[in-house]
Amino acid sequence: MSTFLSARAMQRRSFFRVAGATLATSTLVLAGCKDDEEPVTPVASNVLRLGVVTSASGAETVTQESQENGVLNYAYLLEQLEAAFYTQVVAAPPADLLSDELAYLTDLRDHELIHREYLKAALGASVYDASLSTPLKFNFSSFTLTTRVGVWTAAQQLEDIGVAAYNGAGKLLTVTTNLLALGKIASVEARHAALVHEVLQSDSFASTIGADGLDDAKTPTEVIELIKTLLPIEVSVAALPTA
Amino acid sequence: MNILKLLADLAATTPDQFEQPAVRRDALNELGRFGAKTLAAALPLGLASVPALARDTRTILDSLLLALRLERLQNAFYTQALAAPATFFPADASIRASIVKIQAHQQQHATLLVRLISTSNGDVPALPRYDFTGSKNNTQAALFPSVFSNFDEFLRLAQLLEDTAVRAYKAMVEFLVQDNYILQTALQIHSTESRHASRIRTIRRQRGAVVKSWPSPADADITVANKTAVVYATEHATNQLLADYTSVPFRLLPIGSGPNLLTQSVPEAFDEPLAADSVDGLLNLFTL
Repeated sequence: MSTFLSARAMQRRSFFRVAGATLATSTLVLAGCKDDEEPVTPVASNVLRLGVVTSASGAETVTQESQENGVLNYAYLLEQLEAAFYTQVVAAPPADLLSDELAYLTDLRDHELIHREYLKAALGASVYDASLSTPLKFNFSSFTLTTRVGVWTAAQQLEDIGVAAYNGAGKLLTVTTNLLALGKIASVEARHAALVHEVLQSDSFASTIGADGLDDAKTPTEVIELIKTLLPIEVSVAALPTA
Repeated sequence: MNILKLLADLAATTPDQFEQPAVRRDALNELGRFGAKTLAAALPLGLASVPALARDTRTILDSLLLALRLERLQNAFYTQALAAPATFFPADASIRASIVKIQAHQQQHATLLVRLISTSNGDVPALPRYDFTGSKNNTQAALFPSVFSNFDEFLRLAQLLEDTAVRAYKAMVEFLVQDNYILQTALQIHSTESRHASRIRTIRRQRGAVVKSWPSPADADITVANKTAVVYATEHATNQLLADYTSVPFRLLPIGSGPNLLTQSVPEAFDEPLAADSVDGLLNLFTL
């Protein structure tokens, strides 16, 4: 992990200008901080701090705009995760995959790649990994990707988390065009989730729907807790709005 | 609600609005005029009573009423289907079980919406009557003459209604942005409707229809021009705009899955909103 990040240390200056998210790493602190006036606080782990803006001088601030972009970066991170998952699965599908199932997985991969690139384009210079030359590498070793049941079970978890994440993130946004943008993606994720459930068990499309006919909603804190074993870095959502 | 958003509202609120009764219960009851500024409830006490700007208020109630119309119609649709003879349903029992679940959700949504509207002092309209053949009680040619005797015809209308619901809620949420509770509730209903639409589409595909689990330009067209075509009008957008009205350059991105990427995968990857008057028009086809 530190090798991966240290390779990017040379790009720290533009890296620090990213609005809406900042990735603080011990590597960066040790290798890059030459500003004598700024106290250096070593950071124990690699932390992506969504919603925090770090200036070139190292000063950290949270503004409404960086919070808004922090929420979009959070959605972007989830889309990166899903896209990486399906890309890996389509590249090496399990041997017992049934006919038609590879076509489903390919469609899902393409949709997630498109969502990822859409959010990246929407964030522009505020995308948290703007200066990384390669995307984060996610860790799917907790999944069993050598059997169709393992693949679809993993997909089910990721899709349900994605739907709940979008349902919980909408109210954190203040810009209606951003809300609309996430809404366009959220319903497609829910359609994915229902299909993925049906592949494994007929009539299981509604298993996340609770009282009042409402689908699940989760806060960023709950979502990050669920996916933290998949992430190569620690993600802090402390700076995101909570309501 | 974001505290900064609230502060922006405060700045735009006229001084006489500050003098309105400072009891949260009153604010809750003002939906008809001011919108349920409910969720300001989570804010420091003195701020909780500040009414929303009037321009947002009407839209929240309008949106709830449109949602209620939609949910009541769907509830009646599935209730009638479930009252049909057992032979109406396919042998695969999981299919009827899914329709039972979907009907229950629509009923729950309608009950929830009635509660939201009435506890906020809005008027809950009388329950309308429906003709799901689309013949308006035999006064015009039917669109779905066998809707409760031909299961595939039933599924076609179910798909149209569910996809309409997804689009309708999506268009609504931007008008609910001032009210966290109602906004999140609408989003949770929105994804429930999306799961319904996906399930109905999957059943249709298993029965031989050319249809994906999400709207796709590759789906076989099941609409009628000037009647139900509105359900997918503007749905298959191949273009997504950024905030500065430029297009997202999907063509340039390293995400190639062959020639269909721009014409098929991009439209599939996004559901589009549908304006309230278009939703109304579609519901009117089946409302007496």
